[in-house]
Amino acid sequence: MRQKLPNKWNACATGKRSVLHELTEGFYLAAGLAAWIAIALPAPRLSRLALVLLGVGALAHTASLATLHQIEPVPSLTHLPAALSVSALTGVIFFFVLLMMRVRIAGFVSLVAPIAYLSVFIADVRLTPPAPRNAILEVGSWPHAHVLLSSGGLALLGFAGMAGVLFLAEHRRLKAKRSAPGRFPLPSLEALDRANIVALAAGLPLLTLGVVTGVLWVDDATGQYWRGSAHEIWMIAAWVIYAALAGARFGGGQAGRSAALSAVIGFAFLFLALVGVEVGS
Amino acid sequence: MSILLLGVNHRTAPLEVRERFAVADPVPALAKLMDRDDVEESVLLSTCNRVELVVHVREPDAARPRLLEFFLQELWDGASPPSDGKVGSWIYEYVDSEAIRHVFRVAASIDSMVVGEPQILGQVKEAHRKAFECGASGPVLDRLYHHAFSAAKRVRTETQMAERPVSVARVAVDLALQIFERVEDKSALLVGAGEMTEMALAALQRKGLAHVRVANRTLERARELAPKFGATAHSLDELPQLMAETDLLLTSVAGDATLLTKEAFHTALRGRPRRPIFAIDLGVPRNISPAVNELDEVYLYDVDDLEQAAAANAALRHEEVERAENIVLEERQRFLAWRGGRKAIPTIVELRERAETIRLAELESTLPKLGLDPNQAQAVESLTRAIVNKLLHAPLSRLRTEADGDDGPRTLAAARTLFDLDAESKAESKDEKEDS
Repeated sequence: MRQKLPNKWNACATGKRSVLHELTEGFYLAAGLAAWIAIALPAPRLSRLALVLLGVGALAHTASLATLHQIEPVPSLTHLPAALSVSALTGVIFFFVLLMMRVRIAGFVSLVAPIAYLSVFIADVRLTPPAPRNAILEVGSWPHAHVLLSSGGLALLGFAGMAGVLFLAEHRRLKAKRSAPGRFPLPSLEALDRANIVALAAGLPLLTLGVVTGVLWVDDATGQYWRGSAHEIWMIAAWVIYAALAGARFGGGQAGRSAALSAVIGFAFLFLALVGVEVGS
Repeated sequence: MSILLLGVNHRTAPLEVRERFAVADPVPALAKLMDRDDVEESVLLSTCNRVELVVHVREPDAARPRLLEFFLQELWDGASPPSDGKVGSWIYEYVDSEAIRHVFRVAASIDSMVVGEPQILGQVKEAHRKAFECGASGPVLDRLYHHAFSAAKRVRTETQMAERPVSVARVAVDLALQIFERVEDKSALLVGAGEMTEMALAALQRKGLAHVRVANRTLERARELAPKFGATAHSLDELPQLMAETDLLLTSVAGDATLLTKEAFHTALRGRPRRPIFAIDLGVPRNISPAVNELDEVYLYDVDDLEQAAAANAALRHEEVERAENIVLEERQRFLAWRGGRKAIPTIVELRERAETIRLAELESTLPKLGLDPNQAQAVESLTRAIVNKLLHAPLSRLRTEADGDDGPRTLAAARTLFDLDAESKAESKDEKEDS
């Protein structure tokens, strides 16, 4: 699947990246397994180990993506699996940023690690897929800027959606006065709401910049800002929806259940717009 | 050598009896106990729910009545000890493996009034520390308590016995921490007064809740209560303003009418966007309209909800007790194996010495006749050592594991007879006599 490289340096860089990529997969998988076994047993030490494994996985992942630039020509990030891999890393880093902000969401590792693993696994399986028939030329640095920013936005808004799902489940349970399942308590409603608002506050600007760089890339490659492709239409629609949600959240004082519901609906639409349209094309 | 345990606890004796046995400082009693010839080691645990004496004795049957007498004479705080009939129902006795199991169950909080409560482990550790420091606890009881702490730790980490709160106050704290990330930066309002609301508020304050206000029908009553919680006092007329600034609301007001309606909460929420309210209504009849729970930002729990949660948690704890009991049995087995090994040590040492003497004697007589070079002699030496070790491995292992069982003395005696160990020691003592 991978490109044949012309010299020893490239072969070495590719080999290094391949090892790092496999290590990333291994650590994410181990983190996910440790987190779920910790819940099932239950074993608090194992859940702490899961956090460590996820952190080591993120380091390997960063190194793996960094080595891409040692390969000539630099492999493209503009196809979906590679973008998902970048998204996964952004999501994992954001998770640790929230932990450093003392938001009690350590229990999230059981969701973050498996999703990160799947994203990296897909990227590994399809590192360099054939270009779609209607693909536009990759000129300048806009394509990579577009992918990095959009993937970052996707990861953070995905995080907000995930926090929203958990918030809705916990809210429903507390309203129904049912006991918490399992030994490890889920993050508190306040922690989930905080994760949601921080993710939206950071994710929407990234998505906006992703859309802007995408438009500039299309202009560079085709001489027109707008081609009217399905990807463009759905992405603009998703951005408009998110802008409206952010307005309600930051301007209208939306919080709690309604904010969680908005985050879930918003991400479902964005995922459909990005992944659904991309896979369908 | 056996372990004996005598004690009274919350199940066998009422508080007025337990407090007569309780000792603030166990050291003087332990010192008296250690002066006795029949006691090797001792530990005395005294808490509000139990007073237990654990002793390591040489002759358990002979020591039992004397220790019971000590328990009644030295620990009973009163002019004359109680009559025998009452004592029989208050004091329980456990011998050896049952005593070991009981110590482990106590440390693991299986025997506590509130199963899984965490304080008892600290109290057991303290009792053992004091006994250790005054020299009353020696190698056997040190090892016993080491295994007891290990059992307690395993029960804590491997079961959910201690996970869920079983008191209304702790359930309230638990729920508050499912809604709020922390309570340090939250504001609480206590409306009215009641034992349960005050306990819940105190539990929240132990978790760091700092900002508390107290409102009552009369400002005087609020002023009386406020200092207890470091709170400010308010009258019920101020409720609308107070609620807009409240994250945790606890109510317990006597009276028939609903004090707080859905509309009152609706108005309060308008003044505090993005912040939910956790309302705990412990009033009977209820002070807060149940319709308030329909509001997204309000989580309303009444006394029944909290008691049901506490009861459900208690039931879950009891389901975990069986797992905890298995852990206790495993740890007891480990302790017994260790002690069995100790009992078998003299026989094992003698057996090894005897085998080694025979091996060396045979080598000494045979090697010169074979005319081997040093390397060959070394090989034969290793061969004989390996044969002896392999032959002894199985019987020595059996001795270690079975020496502390019911058949332990018989097994040790059988080993000594089969390998003729006693004949050799008798011969040695005969030689010594002749020499002297």
